[in-house]
Amino acid sequence: MAALARLMVIGFIVLSVIYVCLSLYSRAVRKGKLRREWHEGPQDQSLDAFMDEGLEDYDKSLRRKLILSVYVIPVILVSVVVYLTNFA
Amino acid sequence: MLGLIRWTFWITVWVLIAAVFHYTLPQVDIVRITDTYEKRIDPGENKLFWAQADIGTDGTVVNRDVFFIQTRRAKGDVMVYRNEDTGWRWPPYFKFDTSNLQAEAGDLKSSEAAPRYAAIKHYGWRNEFLTIFPNAISIRPVEGPDAAKGIPWVNIVILTLFAAVVYGIWVRWRRFRMARIDPTLEAIEDDFAEK
Repeated sequence: MAALARLMVIGFIVLSVIYVCLSLYSRAVRKGKLRREWHEGPQDQSLDAFMDEGLEDYDKSLRRKLILSVYVIPVILVSVVVYLTNFA
Repeated sequence: MLGLIRWTFWITVWVLIAAVFHYTLPQVDIVRITDTYEKRIDPGENKLFWAQADIGTDGTVVNRDVFFIQTRRAKGDVMVYRNEDTGWRWPPYFKFDTSNLQAEAGDLKSSEAAPRYAAIKHYGWRNEFLTIFPNAISIRPVEGPDAAKGIPWVNIVILTLFAAVVYGIWVRWRRFRMARIDPTLEAIEDDFAEK
Protein backbone atom coordinates (compact mmCIF):
# COMPACT_ATOMS: atom_id res chain seq x y z
CA MET A 1 0.00 0.00 0.00
CA ALA A 2 3.06 2.26 0.31
CA ALA A 3 3.18 2.61 -3.46
CA LEU A 4 -0.49 3.62 -3.60
CA ALA A 5 0.05 6.16 -0.82
CA ARG A 6 3.05 7.58 -2.66
CA LEU A 7 1.05 7.87 -5.89
CA MET A 8 -1.78 9.62 -4.08
CA VAL A 9 0.46 12.07 -2.22
CA ILE A 10 2.51 13.00 -5.30
CA GLY A 11 -0.64 13.13 -7.44
CA PHE A 12 -2.38 15.36 -4.92
CA ILE A 13 0.56 17.78 -4.81
CA VAL A 14 0.89 17.97 -8.62
CA LEU A 15 -2.85 18.37 -9.14
CA SER A 16 -3.05 21.01 -6.40
CA VAL A 17 -0.37 23.06 -8.17
CA ILE A 18 -2.37 22.78 -11.42
CA TYR A 19 -5.60 23.63 -9.57
CA VAL A 20 -4.17 26.76 -7.94
CA CYS A 21 -2.60 27.98 -11.21
CA LEU A 22 -5.80 27.38 -13.15
CA SER A 23 -7.92 29.13 -10.48
CA LEU A 24 -5.69 32.21 -10.45
CA TYR A 25 -5.62 32.30 -14.25
CA SER A 26 -9.38 31.92 -14.60
CA ARG A 27 -10.01 34.68 -12.04
CA ALA A 28 -7.57 37.00 -13.80
CA VAL A 29 -9.33 36.40 -17.12
CA ARG A 30 -12.67 37.22 -15.50
CA LYS A 31 -11.19 40.40 -13.96
CA GLY A 32 -9.99 41.56 -17.35
CA LYS A 33 -13.40 40.89 -18.89
CA LEU A 34 -15.18 42.81 -16.09
CA ARG A 35 -12.87 45.78 -16.47
CA ARG A 36 -13.50 45.89 -20.23
CA GLU A 37 -17.25 45.58 -19.62
CA TRP A 38 -17.20 48.51 -17.20
CA HIS A 39 -15.29 50.73 -19.64
CA GLU A 40 -17.76 49.94 -22.42
CA GLY A 41 -20.86 50.09 -20.19
CA PRO A 42 -22.93 52.93 -18.71
CA GLN A 43 -20.53 53.30 -15.75
CA ASP A 44 -23.34 53.92 -13.26
CA GLN A 45 -21.26 52.23 -10.54
CA SER A 46 -17.70 52.87 -9.44
CA LEU A 47 -15.18 50.46 -11.04
CA ASP A 48 -14.38 48.87 -7.66
CA ALA A 49 -18.02 48.18 -6.80
CA PHE A 50 -18.66 46.77 -10.28
CA MET A 51 -15.60 44.50 -10.06
CA ASP A 52 -16.45 43.29 -6.53
CA GLU A 53 -19.98 42.41 -7.62
CA GLY A 54 -18.80 40.66 -10.76
CA LEU A 55 -16.16 38.63 -8.92
CA GLU A 56 -18.67 37.64 -6.26
CA ASP A 57 -20.90 36.27 -9.03
CA TYR A 58 -17.86 34.48 -10.44
CA ASP A 59 -17.10 32.87 -7.07
CA LYS A 60 -20.57 31.32 -7.09
CA SER A 61 -20.42 30.30 -10.75
CA LEU A 62 -20.35 26.80 -12.18
CA ARG A 63 -17.21 27.62 -14.15
CA ARG A 64 -15.21 28.01 -10.94
CA LYS A 65 -16.52 24.71 -9.60
CA LEU A 66 -15.67 23.01 -12.87
CA ILE A 67 -11.98 23.65 -12.15
CA LEU A 68 -12.37 20.96 -9.46
CA SER A 69 -12.46 18.46 -12.33
CA VAL A 70 -8.67 18.81 -12.27
CA TYR A 71 -8.92 16.37 -9.34
CA VAL A 72 -11.82 14.31 -10.66
CA ILE A 73 -10.63 13.52 -14.20
CA PRO A 74 -7.32 11.82 -13.23
CA VAL A 75 -9.11 9.64 -10.65
CA ILE A 76 -11.63 8.55 -13.30
CA LEU A 77 -8.82 7.99 -15.81
CA VAL A 78 -6.86 5.80 -13.38
CA SER A 79 -9.99 3.81 -12.53
CA VAL A 80 -10.69 3.21 -16.22
CA VAL A 81 -7.10 2.11 -16.88
CA VAL A 82 -7.20 -0.24 -13.85
CA TYR A 83 -10.39 -1.78 -15.18
CA LEU A 84 -9.17 -2.11 -18.77
CA THR A 85 -5.79 -3.56 -17.83
CA ASN A 86 -6.96 -6.07 -15.26
CA PHE A 87 -10.61 -6.93 -15.71
CA ALA A 88 -11.66 -6.22 -19.31
CA MET B 1 30.77 26.41 -32.03
CA LEU B 2 27.71 27.63 -30.18
CA GLY B 3 25.55 26.24 -32.97
CA LEU B 4 27.21 22.83 -32.62
CA ILE B 5 26.61 22.78 -28.86
CA ARG B 6 23.02 23.84 -29.36
CA TRP B 7 22.37 21.13 -31.96
CA THR B 8 24.02 18.45 -29.82
CA PHE B 9 21.94 19.50 -26.83
CA TRP B 10 18.61 19.46 -28.64
CA ILE B 11 19.28 16.23 -30.52
CA THR B 12 20.21 14.56 -27.21
CA VAL B 13 17.05 15.86 -25.54
CA TRP B 14 14.79 14.66 -28.35
CA VAL B 15 16.47 11.26 -28.61
CA LEU B 16 15.93 10.80 -24.85
CA ILE B 17 12.27 11.83 -25.11
CA ALA B 18 11.74 9.50 -28.07
CA ALA B 19 13.42 6.67 -26.15
CA VAL B 20 11.18 7.20 -23.12
CA PHE B 21 8.07 7.10 -25.29
CA HIS B 22 9.31 4.09 -27.26
CA TYR B 23 9.97 2.25 -24.01
CA THR B 24 6.78 3.25 -22.22
CA LEU B 25 4.02 3.27 -24.84
CA PRO B 26 2.24 0.00 -25.60
CA GLN B 27 3.04 -2.02 -28.71
CA VAL B 28 1.43 -5.17 -30.05
CA ASP B 29 3.20 -8.28 -31.37
CA ILE B 30 1.57 -11.25 -33.07
CA VAL B 31 3.20 -14.30 -31.50
CA ARG B 32 2.96 -18.02 -30.94
CA ILE B 33 3.53 -18.82 -27.27
CA THR B 34 5.98 -21.70 -26.93
CA ASP B 35 6.41 -21.85 -23.17
CA THR B 36 5.78 -20.08 -19.91
CA TYR B 37 8.03 -20.30 -16.87
CA GLU B 38 9.24 -18.43 -13.82
CA LYS B 39 12.81 -17.74 -12.89
CA ARG B 40 14.53 -16.16 -9.92
CA ILE B 41 15.78 -12.69 -10.75
CA ASP B 42 18.35 -10.58 -8.93
CA PRO B 43 18.13 -7.17 -10.56
CA GLY B 44 21.49 -5.37 -10.52
CA GLU B 45 22.73 -2.73 -12.93
CA ASN B 46 19.61 -3.36 -15.00
CA LYS B 47 17.34 -2.61 -12.02
CA LEU B 48 15.75 0.33 -13.83
CA PHE B 49 14.27 -2.02 -16.41
CA TRP B 50 12.59 -4.35 -13.94
CA ALA B 51 9.38 -3.68 -12.05
CA GLN B 52 8.92 -4.59 -8.40
CA ALA B 53 7.46 -7.48 -6.43
CA ASP B 54 3.75 -8.17 -6.88
CA ILE B 55 1.48 -5.62 -5.28
CA GLY B 56 0.91 -6.36 -1.60
CA THR B 57 3.93 -8.64 -1.21
CA ASP B 58 7.21 -7.75 0.48
CA GLY B 59 9.15 -5.46 -1.84
CA THR B 60 12.26 -5.23 0.32
CA VAL B 61 13.79 -8.67 -0.27
CA VAL B 62 16.67 -8.72 -2.73
CA ASN B 63 15.53 -11.33 -5.21
CA ARG B 64 12.23 -12.74 -6.35
CA ASP B 65 10.64 -14.99 -8.94
CA VAL B 66 9.47 -13.40 -12.17
CA PHE B 67 7.08 -14.91 -14.70
CA PHE B 68 8.27 -15.18 -18.29
CA ILE B 69 6.45 -15.89 -21.56
CA GLN B 70 8.53 -17.45 -24.32
CA THR B 71 7.30 -16.85 -27.84
CA ARG B 72 8.13 -17.04 -31.49
CA ARG B 73 6.89 -13.97 -33.29
CA ALA B 74 4.90 -14.18 -36.51
CA LYS B 75 7.79 -12.53 -38.33
CA GLY B 76 10.06 -15.43 -37.39
CA ASP B 77 12.34 -14.35 -34.55
CA VAL B 78 11.94 -15.32 -30.91
CA MET B 79 10.91 -12.96 -28.14
CA VAL B 80 10.81 -13.46 -24.40
CA TYR B 81 8.49 -11.32 -22.34
CA ARG B 82 8.59 -10.82 -18.62
CA ASN B 83 5.27 -10.65 -16.82
CA GLU B 84 5.36 -8.35 -13.82
CA ASP B 85 2.97 -6.10 -11.93
CA THR B 86 3.51 -2.42 -12.59
CA GLY B 87 1.25 -1.73 -9.60
CA TRP B 88 0.79 1.92 -8.70
CA ARG B 89 4.17 2.90 -10.13
CA TRP B 90 5.62 4.00 -13.44
CA PRO B 91 4.72 3.23 -16.20
CA PRO B 92 1.03 3.88 -15.44
CA TYR B 93 -0.52 0.67 -16.75
CA PHE B 94 -1.82 -0.16 -13.25
CA LYS B 95 -1.33 -3.84 -13.90
CA PHE B 96 -2.08 -6.14 -10.95
CA ASP B 97 -3.21 -9.29 -12.73
CA THR B 98 0.20 -10.81 -13.45
CA SER B 99 -0.76 -14.30 -12.29
CA ASN B 100 -3.99 -14.28 -14.33
CA LEU B 101 -2.08 -13.16 -17.39
CA GLN B 102 0.37 -16.02 -16.89
CA ALA B 103 -2.57 -18.43 -16.77
CA GLU B 104 -3.95 -17.02 -20.02
CA ALA B 105 -0.53 -17.28 -21.65
CA GLY B 106 -0.16 -20.90 -20.49
CA ASP B 107 -3.56 -21.67 -21.93
CA LEU B 108 -2.52 -20.33 -25.35
CA LYS B 109 0.66 -22.41 -25.58
CA SER B 110 1.03 -24.22 -28.91
CA SER B 111 3.55 -26.17 -30.96
CA GLU B 112 4.95 -25.44 -34.39
CA ALA B 113 2.94 -28.38 -35.78
CA ALA B 114 -0.40 -27.02 -34.52
CA PRO B 115 0.19 -23.28 -34.17
CA ARG B 116 -2.18 -20.88 -32.38
CA TYR B 117 -1.48 -17.21 -32.53
CA ALA B 118 -1.97 -14.45 -29.98
CA ALA B 119 -1.65 -10.70 -29.95
CA ILE B 120 0.48 -9.69 -27.00
CA LYS B 121 0.42 -6.08 -25.85
CA HIS B 122 3.60 -5.04 -24.12
CA TYR B 123 5.89 -2.17 -23.30
CA GLY B 124 9.66 -2.11 -22.88
CA TRP B 125 12.69 -3.41 -24.70
CA ARG B 126 14.50 -6.70 -25.13
CA ASN B 127 18.21 -6.13 -24.75
CA GLU B 128 20.62 -9.04 -24.52
CA PHE B 129 23.49 -6.94 -23.14
CA LEU B 130 21.45 -5.72 -20.18
CA THR B 131 19.27 -8.84 -19.82
CA ILE B 132 16.06 -6.85 -19.98
CA PHE B 133 12.71 -7.98 -21.33
CA PRO B 134 9.54 -6.23 -22.46
CA ASN B 135 6.70 -6.50 -19.94
CA ALA B 136 3.53 -8.17 -21.24
CA ILE B 137 0.31 -6.26 -20.47
CA SER B 138 -2.40 -8.38 -22.05
CA ILE B 139 -2.87 -11.34 -24.36
CA ARG B 140 -5.73 -12.19 -26.68
CA PRO B 141 -6.00 -15.04 -29.16
CA VAL B 142 -6.06 -14.07 -32.87
CA GLU B 143 -6.89 -15.83 -36.12
CA GLY B 144 -3.46 -16.27 -37.58
CA PRO B 145 0.00 -14.82 -38.09
CA ASP B 146 -1.35 -12.06 -40.35
CA ALA B 147 -4.00 -10.83 -37.91
CA ALA B 148 -4.47 -7.07 -37.65
CA LYS B 149 -2.89 -5.42 -34.63
CA GLY B 150 -5.57 -2.74 -34.33
CA ILE B 151 -5.19 1.02 -34.42
CA PRO B 152 -2.99 2.26 -31.55
CA TRP B 153 -5.46 4.86 -30.23
CA VAL B 154 -3.73 5.30 -26.91
CA ASN B 155 -0.41 6.10 -28.58
CA ILE B 156 -2.09 8.49 -31.02
CA VAL B 157 -3.86 10.37 -28.24
CA ILE B 158 -0.82 10.57 -25.94
CA LEU B 159 1.60 11.65 -28.69
CA THR B 160 -0.88 14.23 -30.04
CA LEU B 161 -1.38 15.71 -26.57
CA PHE B 162 2.36 15.76 -26.00
CA ALA B 163 2.94 17.51 -29.35
CA ALA B 164 0.23 20.06 -28.51
CA VAL B 165 1.82 20.84 -25.13
CA VAL B 166 5.32 21.16 -26.63
CA TYR B 167 4.00 23.41 -29.42
CA GLY B 168 2.12 25.56 -26.88
CA ILE B 169 5.24 26.04 -24.76
CA TRP B 170 7.37 26.72 -27.82
CA VAL B 171 5.02 29.37 -29.23
CA ARG B 172 4.81 31.16 -25.88
CA TRP B 173 8.56 31.05 -25.37
CA ARG B 174 9.18 32.47 -28.86
CA ARG B 175 6.67 35.25 -28.30
CA PHE B 176 8.25 36.05 -24.93
CA ARG B 177 11.73 36.11 -26.49
CA MET B 178 10.67 38.40 -29.31
CA ALA B 179 8.89 40.76 -26.93
CA ARG B 180 11.37 40.88 -24.03
CA ILE B 181 14.75 39.30 -24.62
CA ASP B 182 15.56 40.28 -28.21
CA PRO B 183 14.92 44.02 -27.71
CA THR B 184 17.05 43.99 -24.56
CA LEU B 185 19.92 42.23 -26.32
CA GLU B 186 19.67 44.64 -29.25
CA ALA B 187 19.72 47.58 -26.87
CA ILE B 188 22.86 46.19 -25.25
CA GLU B 189 24.46 45.68 -28.67
CA ASP B 190 23.57 49.21 -29.71
CA ASP B 191 25.03 50.45 -26.46
CA PHE B 192 28.31 48.70 -27.19
CA ALA B 193 28.35 49.97 -30.78
CA GLU B 194 28.05 53.55 -29.61
CA LYS B 195 31.05 53.32 -27.27
